[in-house]
Amino acid sequence: MLTLGQRQSLHKSMLYMLIIFLLFIYLFPLLWQLSTSLKDASEVFSGFNLIPQKITSAAYFTAWSRFNLQQYLFNTAIVALFILIGTLISCGLAGYAFGQLQFPGKNILFYLYLATMMVPAAVTLIPAYYIIIKLNWVNTYYALIVPFMFGNAFGTFLMRQFFMTLPKELSESATIDGAGYFQTWWRIMLPLSKPALATLGVMTLVAQWNSFMWPLVVTQSQSLKVLSVGLADFRLYFSVQWNSLMAAVMIAVIPMLLILILAQKMFIKGIQFSGVNR
Amino acid sequence: MSISVSRNDQPRHLNFQKNWREWLAGYLMILPNFLRFFVFMLIPILVTIYIGFTNWDLINAPRWVGLLNYKILLRDSIFWTSLKKTILFTIVNVPVQSFLALLIAILLNQKLKGLNLFRTLFIAPWICMPVAIGLTWTWIYNKEFGYLNHILELIGLAKVGWITSQDITLWSIVATNVWEFLGWHIILLLAALQIVPPDLYEAALVDGANNWTRFWKITVPVISPIFFYDLVVNMISTLQIFDLPFAMTNGGPGNASRVFNLYLYQKGFQFLQMGPASAMGVILFIFIIICTFFIFKYIGSRINYDLS
Repeated sequence: MLTLGQRQSLHKSMLYMLIIFLLFIYLFPLLWQLSTSLKDASEVFSGFNLIPQKITSAAYFTAWSRFNLQQYLFNTAIVALFILIGTLISCGLAGYAFGQLQFPGKNILFYLYLATMMVPAAVTLIPAYYIIIKLNWVNTYYALIVPFMFGNAFGTFLMRQFFMTLPKELSESATIDGAGYFQTWWRIMLPLSKPALATLGVMTLVAQWNSFMWPLVVTQSQSLKVLSVGLADFRLYFSVQWNSLMAAVMIAVIPMLLILILAQKMFIKGIQFSGVNR
Repeated sequence: MSISVSRNDQPRHLNFQKNWREWLAGYLMILPNFLRFFVFMLIPILVTIYIGFTNWDLINAPRWVGLLNYKILLRDSIFWTSLKKTILFTIVNVPVQSFLALLIAILLNQKLKGLNLFRTLFIAPWICMPVAIGLTWTWIYNKEFGYLNHILELIGLAKVGWITSQDITLWSIVATNVWEFLGWHIILLLAALQIVPPDLYEAALVDGANNWTRFWKITVPVISPIFFYDLVVNMISTLQIFDLPFAMTNGGPGNASRVFNLYLYQKGFQFLQMGPASAMGVILFIFIIICTFFIFKYIGSRINYDLS
């Protein structure tokens, strides 16, 4: 007979084993992708061992040198960075206005804007592309950056919910001291909202890094393609060199996985926010 | 904007003379967002509706054709196939994803050490680029050398053309999609489960309720608003699925995985038929609104929002 304590700890260790087993199965595709990328071309087709017999970085060199990966990485990073900065400023401002200030029509405008989260991208795609053509922005960084750098409904919502938790007296006392609203925002509100900005920042970064449809439509030249579009091309040219293809895939996902490791709590907050704070 | 006369009984913020600076600051601060909303959303939506009634190739001026594009689409069998594939995709993807996520979230919701690590590992696939993930699964699904068929061979089954067979391909992509975004739903539902007040459980325990009763009488009502929200958002985004089918099969074999957005993209940007493509955009938008309406009417009305 087991005591209650022993039974509980047995129950706990079985639970841990179950979770670790599930996680192994769940993450197996990513492990397999890593494994294939580290294999020799001949081993790719001969064995199904997860740990390569001979670990080699040859596939990474092939992917890096034969394809424009360096350029794709640079483009993806620069686009994501500009959109990140733009989003933080635009949503920081709008969130402060909706969360702290008073002006006529505030709530109607806010809920109207929130409803735009339902609009499918496909409905705006063609005219938005036409605007890009008319501005002569096809195959430029502007086409990739500008449509996304002036904020979005999710980010504005997130920042507003944060600013609503701050006491109104804070901004009122600052304005009485003679600071304008923009000064108050920049000097007092923005520093206070660092946690919310960080959450919005990581969510924006991942969304932009991974985005596909819009870059696919507005860029054709090799020198402006982002990673997702470049990778979609690889499939056509690279389809039998699975180790090089998986190496390219690894290069595309590693930056975001690193950010996940560094900012795990912010991602979890960001996801929870999207559901719990309606 | 109307200018209200200063009166004492009015709310503070309706006094124009006193508050115009604050109003101005507010409008200026939301300006970037609303500028983007007008230029890249509202105006394009209206233009899309208009282009749907025209013949346009992006180069020559659009020519008004009335309802012709819609008539053509209704007679286009690939259009119907793509709509059907998208609906099937969504109908299977959304419940399976939510159900699996709920199971795992319940498993994780037990005062575990290392919960943060588990949660982080579960969202790793979501953080990865869908196009990249699509390629990884193409490799796993490969008929000759893929890992999945290797497992089938080990247990003595015949190889399956996961993304080369007409009947299976769509479901293989659904499986990849379920896998990629499962972690997101786990985190969301785990957060919902953690809202359940522990003293409710204790009270139920005193009353002699078993695990199953507690789950149905306490857990389900508490998490149902978030669960429902998750269903709606998941439905809206799955109806727009694009990246994975594009990267994995590009719609094939035949039209086996040609989902709605993929066909729309091809019509617009490969065949430059902006009229039918825009009409498809309008149809998708209306379809999403109708689906959302019905899910609110038939499921949303049963959700218990009042728990205090």
